[in-house]
Amino acid sequence: MVMNAIRWLVFAVAALVMNFPVIATIVTALKTPADVISNASLIPRAITLDNFAAVFTVSERLNIWKYLWNSLSASLIGTILPILLCLPLAYAIARRDFGRDLLLPLVVNLRAMPLIIFAIPLYMMYQTLGLLDTRFGLGLILAVVNLPLALVLLTNAVAEIPRELDEAAGMDGARTGRILTRLTLPLIRPAIATTFVFGFITAWNEFLFGLMLTTSKAVPMTVGASFFFSAGGGGVQWGVAAAVIVVASAPPVILGLIMYRQIGRSMLAGAVKG
Amino acid sequence: MANESLKENRILATPVVVFLLAMLGFPAVLDLIYSVSTVSFENLRDPTISGFGNYREVLGDPYFWSAVSFSTRFGLLTAALETALGLFLAVFLAPLIHRRFWLMAIFMMPMIIAPSMMGLMYRLVLHEFVGPLPYYLFEFFGESPAFLSPQLAFRTLVVIETLQWTPFTLLLFYTAYSSIPNDIREAAKVDGTRGLRLFTHIELPALLPTLVVAFGIRFIDGFRVFDNIYVLIGSGAGGSSTSLSIYIYTAFFKSADIGKALAASVLLFVVAFGLLWLVGWLLKKRRPA
Repeated sequence: MVMNAIRWLVFAVAALVMNFPVIATIVTALKTPADVISNASLIPRAITLDNFAAVFTVSERLNIWKYLWNSLSASLIGTILPILLCLPLAYAIARRDFGRDLLLPLVVNLRAMPLIIFAIPLYMMYQTLGLLDTRFGLGLILAVVNLPLALVLLTNAVAEIPRELDEAAGMDGARTGRILTRLTLPLIRPAIATTFVFGFITAWNEFLFGLMLTTSKAVPMTVGASFFFSAGGGGVQWGVAAAVIVVASAPPVILGLIMYRQIGRSMLAGAVKG
Repeated sequence: MANESLKENRILATPVVVFLLAMLGFPAVLDLIYSVSTVSFENLRDPTISGFGNYREVLGDPYFWSAVSFSTRFGLLTAALETALGLFLAVFLAPLIHRRFWLMAIFMMPMIIAPSMMGLMYRLVLHEFVGPLPYYLFEFFGESPAFLSPQLAFRTLVVIETLQWTPFTLLLFYTAYSSIPNDIREAAKVDGTRGLRLFTHIELPALLPTLVVAFGIRFIDGFRVFDNIYVLIGSGAGGSSTSLSIYIYTAFFKSADIGKALAASVLLFVVAFGLLWLVGWLLKKRRPA
């Protein structure tokens, strides 16, 4: 009994400490400007949504709608493309052991590579190809980031389908391409959904490449949010800055909390195989 | 038949291979060529090959070595703290989480948030006038340290990184811990093994592989840290917060020292690749499959 009480206490303290910045940011986002300056505590004197209204107001310098749209489109490219690219390879690895010795470890090890080593040559390459500051260019590099997890999750999923199903279909004269699209694809739909959610969160949260490869037209939400902190005349408006963090974090957090069970599992798969 | 399926396998692998060659292979070659060239933003398209000057410059740069040291210490320390805390919380709180898995969702919150956004949150939380943390420290203790000063920046960043990623190790350990078969525990209890002894003799050895994986992943991520440091401090604080990623970024974008940034990239590439290869080789040697 006492032990259980101590457990709850430890849980409460750990949860509070880890989530402290989240709580503080939400509270500040709801404070009035006068309150922000005169009262740094976590209990606001009045609650307002003005900061959120200010975040969504387009100014000459800041346009949150654009950042959100850029993040959404680049993240979709960065999530769907790896699934399309990895599906055939996952099939070859799981069914024929083709690429298990070289390609699989190569791709999985990318997860451990500090990707900044490719950032500068990519910058030069993008400049030549006209991909600098485009949503497509950003989406391509997000696809690279998501490639390892997509391959691991899809390979595991294909391996779990009973071999007999493929063989029966092959007996009936179905070609590999047909087996892949008609048989494998529908059966691994749950794994594709997990890969999608996980990849989308990773892509949305990416910062380094957004910072290096975009300047104005294709700036993603994470980088755009940091613009609210560089004071444009008069200091940082902390209430508005807090509100922008809340907005920028909302899509991954909502997705993540809906799918937290699946995310837990896929994180494990990625970790154990990686 | 065999020939045909080999051809087919190659077709199946082609999309990923082509994509990787274009997105990483080509940049890697550029990395190598430009790192032995004299290059600036003016002659970006046709650099002149000039030997290993860039490498000499990087290896002779004290800031490079301080960045290497920062990243190594940061990676080791955060990985160790996250592993220890995650292991403790997972085992100690397992009885609670076992009945109510949604408690895990509360812990998972920080790691779903972008590290860059977490960094921005701490800019608010630690701010001396509007930040709640200094406010409460003043309230209760009458003083609050300058968290982001050169003296304290390293420690502050370690705490921030640890608090955001302990949930990750916690999740790994919890899953591994709850998959230890209960018969083993029961058998040990029959033999009179319980409490701390049960943990150190039975459960901990079973968690050892997870421990290695958790430490390894967190070390890698800690070593290449960029986002939260960049939004929180930038490259400031007198180099006391310059990780290797920040060093490369700054050399390229702030000082336009392209050759140096590229030489540092290649060095990092070689070391990372060498380490990964070594780990893979060791794993293979231990498990002759």
